[in-house]
Amino acid sequence: IIEEEDLEDPLWELEMALLESDVEMTVAEEILQTIRDKMIGETRAQVDTTGELVSEALHDALYDVISVGQFDFDQRVREAEKPVTIIFTGVNGVGKTTSIAKMARYFEERGLSTILANGDTYRAGANEQIQKHADNLDKKLISHEQGGDPAAVLYDGVEFAEAHDIDVVLGDTAGRLHTSNDLMAQLEKIDRVVDPDMTLFVDEAVAGQDAVQRSKKFNDAAEIDGTILTKADADSNGGAAISIAYVTGKPILFLGVGQDYDDIERFDPERMVNRLLGEEE
Amino acid sequence: MVLDNLGSSLRGSLDKLQGKSRLSEEDVEEIVKEIQRSLLSADVDVSLVMDLSSSIKERATEEEPPGGTSARDHVLKIVYEELVGLIGESTEIPLEPQTIMLAGLQGSGKTTTAAKMAWWFSKKGLRPAVVQTDTFRPGAYDQAKQMCERAEVDFYGDPDEEDPVKIAREGLEETDDADVHIVDTAGRHALEDSLIDEIEDIESVVNPDLSLLVLDAAIGQGAKEQAREFDDSIGIGGVVITKLDGTAKGGGALTAVNETDSSIAFLGTGETVQDIERFEPNGFISRLLGM
Ligand SMILES: Nc1nc2c(ncn2[C@@H]2O[C@H](COP(=O)(O)OP(=O)(O)OP(=O)(O)O)[C@@H](O)[C@H]2O)c(=O)[nH]1
Ligand SMILES: Nc1nc2c(ncn2[C@@H]2O[C@H](COP(=O)(O)OP(=O)(O)OP(=O)(O)O)[C@@H](O)[C@H]2O)c(=O)[nH]1
Ligand SMILES: [K+]
Ligand SMILES: [Mg+2]
Ligand SMILES: [Mg+2]
Repeated sequence: IIEEEDLEDPLWELEMALLESDVEMTVAEEILQTIRDKMIGETRAQVDTTGELVSEALHDALYDVISVGQFDFDQRVREAEKPVTIIFTGVNGVGKTTSIAKMARYFEERGLSTILANGDTYRAGANEQIQKHADNLDKKLISHEQGGDPAAVLYDGVEFAEAHDIDVVLGDTAGRLHTSNDLMAQLEKIDRVVDPDMTLFVDEAVAGQDAVQRSKKFNDAAEIDGTILTKADADSNGGAAISIAYVTGKPILFLGVGQDYDDIERFDPERMVNRLLGEEE
Repeated sequence: MVLDNLGSSLRGSLDKLQGKSRLSEEDVEEIVKEIQRSLLSADVDVSLVMDLSSSIKERATEEEPPGGTSARDHVLKIVYEELVGLIGESTEIPLEPQTIMLAGLQGSGKTTTAAKMAWWFSKKGLRPAVVQTDTFRPGAYDQAKQMCERAEVDFYGDPDEEDPVKIAREGLEETDDADVHIVDTAGRHALEDSLIDEIEDIESVVNPDLSLLVLDAAIGQGAKEQAREFDDSIGIGGVVITKLDGTAKGGGALTAVNETDSSIAFLGTGETVQDIERFEPNGFISRLLGM
């Protein structure tokens, strides 16, 4: 029979391992609590050590968290009424604009036409950056002058797509921190006015404990359908995936794995769990 | 006391010591645990937290509080001293002609910081110029140019040139009139060998007096590897922490300072060119311990 005290050491080690992988602390503690509850009182076979049983339970617990809400993204877009409007949100510099460029390529490969609409009317060089991506990918960009109303640009994008039979509108937003009440209110307004078919939250794999706070705040302001986790090539930890899936209850859909247009992959929960547990091939 | 704004759980366990003049082993144990929690939630490197907390534990157990000092204040003093010992004072930035190069991960805030630092130097009466060597990121030239216009400082870049080393060389020549040269570089990470080679080439042409690692306050445990690689390749003399206007605590900077044997130079607290501050240890330590 497994007793509370048998679990102390293995669970402490697991907690440290999860923190080293950037899983947020309260999320790590809740995951460990489910393991504790599940295992206390279980009988263990002669052959198994408590440590082995704990790591099996951890694998299952992580998988449960990280595979939350997975759906067939391609099918959902394919079957939706056109144009499908997708808005990208997230804090500063995580890779929203680059991910939009990658998604334009992704949809093209699946036979869907796209336009880009630049709702970042704030940051220096934002129009030039996304225009360059649009040129490289041979896509149309709808943009307004710096200082314009972001909701209006995105709305124009949708109207253009309707008039020209475009399948998907990829709408960018300016980076903002969740502590800025004004900018978060602006995001709510965009969500209300544009009423997108999908909102994708973009965050980076290199993020640590803060991933929980910001994903929660963004999900509250403009409810998300899923997450794109970028810069996975820069980081072998990936605990941010756990934190974000746990607090938002929404699936991680894509991984950004570099700066080129093809550097985007469908997210695979099983592979991420193995990576977190250091069991990668 | 400097550490008045402590996180509530840490304060709770310290408050239990109120009125005590000696610490029991359990007291120390509990406080050390709370300190670990605070630092780990601030993204300080796990092994660094363990090292720090064991020296805190050792000192709290062994050192007698000086006469008249309560146990609570004694522990606080030890914690503060250990953290200050690690973080140190702000990186020295002489107000004289010099060249500073910025490096760091994609999106960490280098280009914004370049313009902010130029603004900062211009307020100190020096004439700064920013040289943009990022030939990779679309719109990098326009972004830096517009930020420098906002900061009202000199700027050099060449949107048609593909070789960052050449831009660096020409940029320094063209902005010869400036006192302070701030060289921006493209984002890159520790695992990209060819880009690490590239920044070494830029560095050897620029020959900076100081190379700063620009770190997002929200960076997690990866801070250690990034800091080590950048230090190995170009030598890091200081750290800039950006996006401190959010909720991230910036503990990655503590890791980076420890890893590169350097210090923190500037803090970024917003998107405009004025949103820059010199580093100041007290406020940062309070933040790490979770205000
Ligand atoms: N290594 C790596 N870099 C990436 C990835 N995705 C984006 N980047 C880089 O990250 C930097 C920031 O990307 P952007 O797309 O401008 O980020 P953003 O979220 O739109 O930024 P703001 O609009 O300023 O908030 C750029 O240098 C990109 O090339 C990725 O998956 N891997
Ligand atoms: N809120 C806030 N945003 C910041 C701060 N510093 C930079 N940013 C934002 O972070 C994003 C990325 O900043 P950049 O200066 O483009 O970062 P970079 O390191 O030059 O990016 P790359 O050149 O792509 O590697 C932009 O949206 C900036 O406006 C800061 O201190 N606070
Ligand atoms: K150094
Ligand atoms: Mg952007
Ligand atoms: Mg830049």
